[in-house]
Amino acid sequence: MNKIVREAKLWLIAIPILLWTLLPIYHIFLFSISTKDSAFSGALWPAKPTLHNFAVVFRQDHFYLHHFWAQIWNSLWIAVAVGVLTLAVATCAAFAISRLKVKGGRVVMNAALFTYFIPAAFLAVPMYKAMGTYGLLNSRWSLVLAMVTLASPYAIWVLKQASDKLPWELDEAARIDGATPLQLFRLVYVPLMMPSLVAIGTYALILAWNEYLYAFLLLSHENTIPLAVGLGHFLASDDSPWELLMATALIYAAPPAAIYYAFRRYMVGGLTAGAVKT
Amino acid sequence: MATVAFSDVHKSFGATKVLHGISLDIANGEFMVLVGPSGCGKSTLLRMLAGLEEIGGGEISIDGRVVNDVDSKDRDIAMVFQSYALYPHMTVRENMGFSLKLRKDKQRLIDERVANAARILNLEPYLERFPRELSGGQRQRVAMGRAIVRDPKVFLFDEPLSNLDAKLRVAMRAEIKALHQRLKTTTVYVTHDQIEAMTMADRIAVMNEGRIEQLGEPLELYDHPVNLFVAQFIGSPAMNIFDGVVRAGAVEALGARLPAAVLRAGGTDGQKVKYGVRPEHLELASAGIAAEVVLVEPMGAETEILAKAGDTRLTLMTRGRSIAGPGDRIFLAPQAGYIHLFDAASGLRIA
Repeated sequence: MNKIVREAKLWLIAIPILLWTLLPIYHIFLFSISTKDSAFSGALWPAKPTLHNFAVVFRQDHFYLHHFWAQIWNSLWIAVAVGVLTLAVATCAAFAISRLKVKGGRVVMNAALFTYFIPAAFLAVPMYKAMGTYGLLNSRWSLVLAMVTLASPYAIWVLKQASDKLPWELDEAARIDGATPLQLFRLVYVPLMMPSLVAIGTYALILAWNEYLYAFLLLSHENTIPLAVGLGHFLASDDSPWELLMATALIYAAPPAAIYYAFRRYMVGGLTAGAVKT
Repeated sequence: MATVAFSDVHKSFGATKVLHGISLDIANGEFMVLVGPSGCGKSTLLRMLAGLEEIGGGEISIDGRVVNDVDSKDRDIAMVFQSYALYPHMTVRENMGFSLKLRKDKQRLIDERVANAARILNLEPYLERFPRELSGGQRQRVAMGRAIVRDPKVFLFDEPLSNLDAKLRVAMRAEIKALHQRLKTTTVYVTHDQIEAMTMADRIAVMNEGRIEQLGEPLELYDHPVNLFVAQFIGSPAMNIFDGVVRAGAVEALGARLPAAVLRAGGTDGQKVKYGVRPEHLELASAGIAAEVVLVEPMGAETEILAKAGDTRLTLMTRGRSIAGPGDRIFLAPQAGYIHLFDAASGLRIA
């Protein structure tokens, strides 16, 4: 009986949250399969559902969509680069601080935490200035570097915590087995950290994929901007093609969903089971 | 095969001194057990030999070579950890061959050595499994296999059996011992379990608070503990120890005059002593220490009787079955010739 009550309570919380999350997505979906004149009809299902909007997007058949494929490529390129670079920086930092116990590790960790007191929006203008100084404005690298800067502290923090949970005896066993620090990193540390690495890589990738403000500031050519900024351009006119905007948005939202789905098994632990007696 | 020598080895963690000048020579092929209560410094000593802990002072040498500044991997040692420390993402075969792979041995040689170790340890059916698919005892054997394949100069064991259940521990004890008799590799084995120490060691070093209290063969420690600590630590059930006073060539304790043949060589009238007698050397008698039976624990072959003489608890081990029951008044007499006398002040053995 108690169990039923508890489950009922959970459902009472879960259902509103589910609706709250799905309703806007349903709205986007509804717009994207409606014709231009029926988009604002307010019906729960369009009278004549159509895939025409997607065809327009894929053929770049609208003023706002002339660079659709270039922009989605930019988004992808930037997101992957940010994911890979953040992982490289944060994994090395976490390994050095947590496993090699380098001097000053605590300072780095505290500094990483401290950066959270400064909102990212605060740093946008200084970052713009810095990128300008280095002549990187309008290069995809400016956004990549900016996003790696923003994503790294959190990534380092999380990976350091995850590293600390790896049994220390494994490092000692590897040292006695003759492993150099680099071999320890490559052959023991990285394989065991894989679930955390995938999770953090995904985090950085999606952070960059979703970024708007920095992308808007640092990149301004139609050909260099990512799709997020391209989507923003739809709102530049009084008569926005909402059905096309929503179709593009749906396409834009698909890759993160696919990534989450693909890597979901890495998001759970369990790889270290059997290492040491617990 | 190698000798190991500790010479005046010191270690401190911050202001806390954990090892106060340990000197110990381990012979070629010897099975040396370091035993002591937790915090006595035995694991630290082993870890310093392994190169996992810096040496605070003194010298450690393996086969005559001082290894103070030599990396773990260049000391030619292999270690078995309490927690097994198997690589969870590698199969048993990969775990065992890892050190050889790092050493860049030929794959054929690695296969051969792993197969050989697996045969010795009965791990052949499990070579392709992952550690998580093995039982505790099997994991422990893989950890040993990892050590064997390297054919190191010295085996180091850090409480390898502590995580196993009682039955498995006894079985693994015998396996490790048999393995040593087969390979004859110099072994340093750390444990807090004095039974492990007694059953496995060629020689035991009993440690306490960063010092070696006594070094010797198992039965030597059992028969002639040099001080109270060793007397109490070695032996299960523990030795009975109670206060007494030397009077005219005997000891007065617990309201009785007790034999003390050992006194011939030392001890003065009126000296306060600790009188020690092992449970199996205490007998039911018609006169002696008056006591009351508290508990009788029959174990089949022998019977353990817990008795109280005043406030002092005494344990008595008799062969066969007991005729006494709880509440019975009995007399206990120590067997002459099996008595241990210690000075009450210094705790050192008299004579």
